[in-house]
Amino acid sequence: MASQLLPLELIDKCVGSRIWVVMKGDKEFAGTLVGFDDYVNMVLEDVTEFDYSGDHTKLKKILLNGNNICMLIPGGEGPVGASASP
Amino acid sequence: MENGTISQGEGKDPSGFLSEIIGNPVTVKLNSGVVYKGELQSVDGYMNIALEKTEEYVNGVRRRSYGDAFVRGNNVMYISAD
Amino acid sequence: MADVGDEGSAVSEPLDLVRLLIDEVVCVKLRGDRELKGRLHAYDSHCNLVLGDVEETIYVVDDEDDDDEIKANREQEIRDAVCDSVVLISPQSRPH
Repeated sequence: MASQLLPLELIDKCVGSRIWVVMKGDKEFAGTLVGFDDYVNMVLEDVTEFDYSGDHTKLKKILLNGNNICMLIPGGEGPVGASASP
Repeated sequence: MENGTISQGEGKDPSGFLSEIIGNPVTVKLNSGVVYKGELQSVDGYMNIALEKTEEYVNGVRRRSYGDAFVRGNNVMYISAD
Repeated sequence: MADVGDEGSAVSEPLDLVRLLIDEVVCVKLRGDRELKGRLHAYDSHCNLVLGDVEETIYVVDDEDDDDEIKANREQEIRDAVCDSVVLISPQSRPH
């Protein structure tokens, strides 16, 4: 049987790399994953916060509450990198 | 332990990051978009936060200041080191 | 939770701050632009609060002039603030 990768193991592989975090509601973050815990509270570095209004905010280092996290995209640079035209 | 934090390495995981920034100026953003800036006194496993010399910003505009403030953790979106 | 050993005045975890506010007049911000001002009689770890001599303020945005306006001021003898709507607790605030 092929070994399956648990969701948290996938996140663990992302430590040290860029990650794109999509929250419940219209908010997204992109940053370097420094660490996380069982609740997927995450420490991110060199973060860009994407607002629903299209605003970008740069943040050096944050602890993001895992409560409202919806989806994680390893290697993602946020909605700017994903769409052809920002 | 209700907080369930696992310790991996200093300053890496959430609890390490928090002990690193205790006493420092921080920005706390709530899910409502309201921002509190102040000196971080303490945090617990629920992400309840005690701030000192707190300033409240609504839509980027400074609204009020509080000497001490307790912020209930369920409202917190992120804590940022200034 | 952090250690709750010492009963001193030190703030080692956030709820210690609330403990220090017992019997003080506090300002409690609630969800939905509501605020309570009253004397803090008791609290628990969920932030259920027992307040006395409470004044409730509800802010509404007035479309005509952009300022928030106090719509209702109600006074109640004692009130339980339901924990989930508590956003912030502080000593009697000093606006602006």
